[in-house]
Amino acid sequence: MTKVQDEAMTRLDSAVSEVFETMLERSCDPLDGEVDTVEGRIVARIQFTGAVDGECLLYASQATASVTAEVLLGTPSEPHDPMVDDAIGELCNMIAGGWKSKLADPDSNCMISTPAVTRQGLEGYQPKFGTKFSRNYSFQGNVFGVVLAF
Amino acid sequence: MQSDAEFGEGWLRALIVDDSSVMRKVIERALGQAGLELTEVLQASNGEEALQMLRDNQSASTPLALILSDINMPVMDGLQFLETRRQEYLAQGVPVVMITTEGNEAFVLRAIAAGAQGYICKPFTAEQVKVRVLPLLRAA
Repeated sequence: MTKVQDEAMTRLDSAVSEVFETMLERSCDPLDGEVDTVEGRIVARIQFTGAVDGECLLYASQATASVTAEVLLGTPSEPHDPMVDDAIGELCNMIAGGWKSKLADPDSNCMISTPAVTRQGLEGYQPKFGTKFSRNYSFQGNVFGVVLAF
Repeated sequence: MQSDAEFGEGWLRALIVDDSSVMRKVIERALGQAGLELTEVLQASNGEEALQMLRDNQSASTPLALILSDINMPVMDGLQFLETRRQEYLAQGVPVVMITTEGNEAFVLRAIAAGAQGYICKPFTAEQVKVRVLPLLRAA
């Protein structure tokens, strides 16, 4: 792993941890291992433009997404509830925003998009950016993945 | 100083502007945890919808007490919303707090220039919402 990737991953770990501890009152830890690209997963995407051109993808199974929505909202949710997709989009938004704010110059002109959420999985995903890495995370046994490409 | 309970008299109306329905609910819950009993929470998913709600509510018998708005939204973002609201003299005097992932100083300054009185970065705790919002309601 290059120094750039290493620094980006450290910032990502910090952003994920901050979001979970603050908004979900849960600890969330990185897992070793490769990202699996099982179809049918819910995928949220945030794009960076300006000082950083790239994207952040967060993907989770329906089960993990449902738990995430429940913890955020404090109420039960059904797997096909649109709130579940929305929760994954907002989680991606906060993690991408947190990662961006931890850049060397947080006031650099880097814009982030609103989240786009699909249930198409990551099958065939090919980032068009030079640097890419992925990382899995777990909170209370619920696993999700994050891909950063820039 | 007034206690938090004095804001729980059943008359507060708030407008929450965020493109995420989950986040609108999270913010509403945080207001409840801050001790605010809201009689009505208007919800808009972008600035344009929020402006229309303000126009429609100009003659409401119970005025809005608080506006909380995201910045990064489709159709019309939170900064455009604030600037248009000011140009149209809508809901003058109602405190506005931005709740956003955009912690960039340029956004904060632009929001303040456009009339925001508070700024909360996501992720946030209910306590942070309380600390930012209650003084504004007390001062209003």
